[in-house]
Amino acid sequence: MERYKDIIPNFEAFKAVLHRPLFNCCRINTLKIERARLLERLDEKGIGWRIFDWYPFGLKLDVQSPGKLLENLLGYIHIQEELSMLPPLLLDPQPGEVVLDLCASPGSKTTQISQMMNNQGLVIANEPSLARVSPLRSNCERLGALNVAITRYDGRNFPRGSFDRVLVDAPCTSEGRERRGRGTIARSNRKRSLDLQKLQIGLLKNATRLAKPKGVVIYSTCTYAPEENELVVEKVLDDARLERISISGLKDCPGITEWSGETMKGDLSKCARYYPHINDTGGFFVAKLIKN
Amino acid sequence: MNSSEVARLWKSRFGIPEKAFAGYRFFRKAQSVWMISASDLPNLSYEALGMRIMNLKDRPWKPTTCALQILGKHATKNLVHLNESQAMTFLEGKSLPVDTNLEPGYVVVLYREEVLGCGLYSRGIVISQLPKERRMTSCS
Repeated sequence: MERYKDIIPNFEAFKAVLHRPLFNCCRINTLKIERARLLERLDEKGIGWRIFDWYPFGLKLDVQSPGKLLENLLGYIHIQEELSMLPPLLLDPQPGEVVLDLCASPGSKTTQISQMMNNQGLVIANEPSLARVSPLRSNCERLGALNVAITRYDGRNFPRGSFDRVLVDAPCTSEGRERRGRGTIARSNRKRSLDLQKLQIGLLKNATRLAKPKGVVIYSTCTYAPEENELVVEKVLDDARLERISISGLKDCPGITEWSGETMKGDLSKCARYYPHINDTGGFFVAKLIKN
Repeated sequence: MNSSEVARLWKSRFGIPEKAFAGYRFFRKAQSVWMISASDLPNLSYEALGMRIMNLKDRPWKPTTCALQILGKHATKNLVHLNESQAMTFLEGKSLPVDTNLEPGYVVVLYREEVLGCGLYSRGIVISQLPKERRMTSCS
């Protein structure tokens, strides 16, 4: 963790907040219930809630086991980390489009994309692991996502397509999940990041190939390691350009442009980093790319 | 499988109008029928297409709970309305006596006008067909 001392602002506050668990959060699933009706139901049950400052369908819930709520079983809400709702928002899928979610399971972002498209158009949810297809399917069915087709390719070799938008929510060292369970940062190291980097570059390169010209590619991880973030994005800048990210109500820090004494090419400061002590969330990284 | 074949079965059992099935495509794989929003499907190898809505293996055919939660609001027959304590029993996955006169078979189970899921009705008893992972645990 100390290797991030120079890139994470106010490092002592960062370390201190990791001991504090996160709020339980959920997304209101408008495929099955109107937002106002869901909020009424929570009020009737006396469950405290607070809407995110930056996303009207995200809620912090004042309840111990939100997964056991009837509203969850009926698919009116989906338990989802606050910043996990960010990549679909930046992807900005429109009804009728064809969208690829390259690393889909368990489907939190897939179903949010489906919700944003109002079940119109097509979402291809790709998940290579058979074991992980089951929760993906289950979440799509519970949430009433009817425009999702599931494939099982290795994302690096997903064969063909011409997608309006592609999401790569890549496998990563998950350092940003430390507040959900201590130890992910301790288990993480540069070597693990470099091993994952090969996979992440393969995924992002293929995602960029699969997008239409001018199509949007979102690359996200829940980790801090530049090896898994900016240094991955840097590899596709010949084929796509970065667009600056700015979400009202959510403070981001710019992507880093120097690491281990080396300066990266391109304007990687347009990437966005989210730190737990700044918005009281988990940690996250997102880049928005527009294919040439 | 074409849309009108599917619609005919749901109309006959639940009185759901054919127009509720407009805008979807249907696929049959083994004994299951899947429903997906109509759009061109790229030439890929698919693991699943949309939502599994019914199983044709047994007689009568069985609707899935997730499909009833979408389509059941259009149903006009073979509905069972539960009170609060009955709804809790149903959500726990148990059987419950109901005072109603229905054709034996699968029914749409509702509480406060909301579809909870699929039940199997026979001789005054509704047996909850909720999948295990969609049930409430008694302690909560």
